[in-house]
Amino acid sequence: MRAESSDAFWRDDHLRVHSWTVPAPKDDMELFTGQSILTMVHGIVLGGGALMTLFASLCAVQILSSSSEPVVLPVKSTRLLQWLLVATAVLLWLAVIGGTYLVFPPYRATPPEGITDLSQYPRSLITSNPQTAWLHSFGMEIKEHVPWIAAILGTAVASIGFRHGSELLVNRDVKRMVTVMLAIAFLLVAVVALLGVFINKVAPVD
Amino acid sequence: MAAILSAGIGAFAVGFVVILNEAGLFTAPALYGPAGGVSGRTTIAAAIWLVAWLILHIRWKSRHVEPRPVNLTTVVLILGGILLTFPPVWSLFG
Repeated sequence: MRAESSDAFWRDDHLRVHSWTVPAPKDDMELFTGQSILTMVHGIVLGGGALMTLFASLCAVQILSSSSEPVVLPVKSTRLLQWLLVATAVLLWLAVIGGTYLVFPPYRATPPEGITDLSQYPRSLITSNPQTAWLHSFGMEIKEHVPWIAAILGTAVASIGFRHGSELLVNRDVKRMVTVMLAIAFLLVAVVALLGVFINKVAPVD
Repeated sequence: MAAILSAGIGAFAVGFVVILNEAGLFTAPALYGPAGGVSGRTTIAAAIWLVAWLILHIRWKSRHVEPRPVNLTTVVLILGGILLTFPPVWSLFG
């Protein structure tokens, strides 16, 4: 067994080394709460998935129509493109609705009167510090509404894809508008995703 | 074309409802209490979008619509809607 002086040495803050005399973490420590898992699904799975499919859709529309000759896609390729656009819209709506109705409520929960530990009340925690208050007044306020615009744009593009199929690659005006809407949706989702990372870093929804 | 223009209308509706709320002219009811007013605002905007889509689809389904004015209008509406959701913008109306 180590001597007292040796224990003190090993627990020295400068070294940040633990000996076996430092209590081990509790065996029942919870790694993730249900709410934090929901938040991760919202941000990483759905939001991240939407970002990827938006980018893939943008690339697909550009690459498939890059030829100077009119494009005639095989039926299978047309179907793949259509399903890619639909998947984009579905992911966007799941992220938006999940965010609004499952993740946002615990974020904005009001702490009881007199409570000093605001760690379970992310909005109050963020706004209590002048240095982080902008994360709510700017960041979350944008996240409340802007993703709905992205979802609407994604749905319009999916609808065009399903109605027109590969014709959307031939009609220059339609293709241009599809590209613009996909690009705007991508930028919007990228911005709100980044804001979400910042907010969750400072005040995670647990 | 109906899907495109209605998307622009829907995007603008999101921003417009936010402005109305911030200006105190119209406060959307909270459809889901824990989510607050955003649940009402976004639902109203989505409803405006869907109604516009239905109307435009019915009116335009058997006629040719010039795409360029529609596209330009849509882009303006989308950008306007995004701008109106920006806190520094809607705080001017608050």
